[in-house]
Amino acid sequence: MASEKPKLEFLEEEYRKINKLPRLTKAVENLDKIIELLSAAREQVASASESHTAITITKLQNPVKTAFEAVNDGLKGAAAAHKKMGRALDKSFPLKPLPTDHDAMADHVSLINRAITMHLLREGQFSVASTFINEVQSTLKREDSADLDEPMEEDDDEDEGMDADEAASVTSSDNYDLSSFHSRELQESFAEMYNILQELKARNLMPAITWARNNSVELEARGSNLEFELSRLQFVWLFKGPSVNGLPDDENNGQRGALQYARSNFARFQTRHLNEINRLACSMAFAPNIAASPYKQIFAIDTAFSDVASSFTREFCSLLGLSAESPLYLAATAGALALPQLMKYTQKTLAKGTEWTTSNEMAFETPLPESMLYHSIFVCPVSKEQTTDANPPMMIPCGHVLAKETLQKLCKGTRFKCPYCPSEGMIKDARQIIL
Amino acid sequence: MADHGASKINHDNHLLLDQPLLRLPYELLRKNIRSAHYHIEWDTNAVKDLLKETATNSINQKASKQDVVNNLDQMLARMRGLKRKLSTYAEEENRLYRQSTARVAHLRELSDVHTVEDVKYEAWSRQRLDRLVVDYMLRHGYNESANALAKERNMLELVDIDTFIAMSKIRQSLENGSVQEALAWCNENKKELRKMQSNLEFQLRCQQYIELNRSSCPKPDAIAHARKYIVPYSDTYQTEVSNIAGLLAYRSDTPHEPYASLYSSARWKMLADLFTDAHLKLLGLPQFPLLHIALSSGLSALKTPACHSSQQNQSHQGQKSHKSATPGPGLDDDQEPRSHGTASLQTSVCPICSTELNALARNVPYAHHSKSHLLEHDLMLLPNGRVYGKAQLDDYADKSRLGEGEVKDLVTGEKFREDELKKVFIT
Repeated sequence: MASEKPKLEFLEEEYRKINKLPRLTKAVENLDKIIELLSAAREQVASASESHTAITITKLQNPVKTAFEAVNDGLKGAAAAHKKMGRALDKSFPLKPLPTDHDAMADHVSLINRAITMHLLREGQFSVASTFINEVQSTLKREDSADLDEPMEEDDDEDEGMDADEAASVTSSDNYDLSSFHSRELQESFAEMYNILQELKARNLMPAITWARNNSVELEARGSNLEFELSRLQFVWLFKGPSVNGLPDDENNGQRGALQYARSNFARFQTRHLNEINRLACSMAFAPNIAASPYKQIFAIDTAFSDVASSFTREFCSLLGLSAESPLYLAATAGALALPQLMKYTQKTLAKGTEWTTSNEMAFETPLPESMLYHSIFVCPVSKEQTTDANPPMMIPCGHVLAKETLQKLCKGTRFKCPYCPSEGMIKDARQIIL
Repeated sequence: MADHGASKINHDNHLLLDQPLLRLPYELLRKNIRSAHYHIEWDTNAVKDLLKETATNSINQKASKQDVVNNLDQMLARMRGLKRKLSTYAEEENRLYRQSTARVAHLRELSDVHTVEDVKYEAWSRQRLDRLVVDYMLRHGYNESANALAKERNMLELVDIDTFIAMSKIRQSLENGSVQEALAWCNENKKELRKMQSNLEFQLRCQQYIELNRSSCPKPDAIAHARKYIVPYSDTYQTEVSNIAGLLAYRSDTPHEPYASLYSSARWKMLADLFTDAHLKLLGLPQFPLLHIALSSGLSALKTPACHSSQQNQSHQGQKSHKSATPGPGLDDDQEPRSHGTASLQTSVCPICSTELNALARNVPYAHHSKSHLLEHDLMLLPNGRVYGKAQLDDYADKSRLGEGEVKDLVTGEKFREDELKKVFIT
């Protein structure tokens, strides 16, 4: 790829060139010319005497003919430019058909709608989310009333199928009502999160600290240091004084303010963070020249506010039982990364004439970057299969791990030999483990 | 399989979902030029002929001065009309070229990004998700939302709201029982529909006929209509045409097949779907939202057997999402926090385990891995069967202020002594 210009750059340049070519606007300009010619001729004929009419009209024909040709040229130019565009596209962005025969998501519209709503809320797009919720609900209402008009003959179809469908539609609409109710609560929660984040952006830590304090038990149980991180940052922020933090120059600000803040707020952190607090206290002695002191790291807060904002978002979402990053975003990104493999595989199976039946596991690998691997994967070295609920990983006394089915196959009676090391064991000594 | 190669962006293949982005303006431009061509031909030929005729008549003294003036006025009127129409086409052409340029520029941004970890990739990928969501909304007719989102994100150039809104208008007119708009559309796109061998127009004509049958009795209108519009199809759609013919003998409330189905109001939905399919195919767009494609691929790629496992990794997750979602002091009666661990547990981060996607991913296949990938090293087995990394356990013990030699399960909160742990060897 190094020698060839990147395809999209090439395409961009081609588009730029094509854009300069004359096209329909040129045709319009030439039409104007014709209109001018015709108008002029009309005025002439109307004002001059009868005898001149024939000549005026005859003389009109040639210029008009030329102008018509120019109009046509404009049209041809547009077509040529368009053709060039097509060629450029085919060259640098050739059409690769997408896998469109089987839509696995077709029956799950309401679930996808819910996922989108939550995504919008996470992103702070509250008004779009409201519009979306309303539109979805009014569409559902319309569909429901339309269904009621359906002729009753359909009930005569296999009762089983109908019942299942009915049940499904009832539960799916139930799911939806539930989630729309949820959405209001969620919306409020996210609105709260957003407000706090806005304040953080404006360097106001107080709402965040209040929130962290209110949820301190939960946060501690998770092993989170958020409350202390926020308080420490507040200390440093005050310490920096009015010239940096823009707060009024009074006894609540500057070194004095910071000390006062520490006195009233750090007591609760003594047990867990005594070391840190000691450092902060000592750093005050270096106030005249922090930058050269061993404490300069504490006071280098360029990224501190955005870091603490990320921590806050993560903890806030966790307490809601939600992941910090939008799952919809991760799924779509993973989808784009995995799609080429899917297409390559679909093409190959089509060519061979075999069919990929959707079983539990995909038939080909779709490597994702490490940041997108969220679970430990154990592939039994003997059977080369992933462990599942039905075939869980088992640890044998020597500490090695095998898939249950592998272990069972290895057993002669009740004893087996570990494939890794010389030790032997009894099958009853193997334990199922949860990775 | 986790290797650094997976982080690298393969530019050739990364834009599969973005093909319609560039192709659609190209197709719309084609339609635009064709319409312009049609009108230019029509009007310019008419004027050319008229001019010639006027000139000849003027020379032969068959036309008076006033006649000539009148004719010139006529020609002017035509040309002015053509100019108006042509201006709209020229404007549309310019708009589509502008749009194409903006879109190429957007895709071009990706060529500067080489790994998934790059912060620029994240921004680009988020914008792609926005595009996919707008496309999804438009497909399902949630037009207002699509508009709102596109405006908010400043991406009007990257989405085709007008095209979809026009399509959904016609679709709605069909659902409301009118074939006019759809027939007009068929007329505009005769050539393509013929190439696609679409039976849309035939079905629409049938529906007209059915409506005529429904109302009048006797049915001279229906017969006249059939003679004009349906008979031409008698070779291509033999069975249908004979059914249609039979319809004359049955009333609209008949229970007999196939006539009952023909009279049924479910046909309108069928027509709406048929129209949508034809329209999408014409524009080179997939039959279902791009988001569906991205999701089926992505959900599978991310899914592991653990995500829907009966193991209690996400038990408290599930509880949380069904209880009140507002974060408040999470205290029970006995002052114990509701959630234990999940300090750094991956299940709280895994998108498939999340409340948003868990149900959606239930029926897709999980990803195929040929190599183990462990998130932690130095694995230790707790007496309750769970396995964690040594560093993980030490960290959590630290944060939970446990004593020496004590560890706590990150998920269940159970406490154990360090000497109860066993080493696990997984390579």
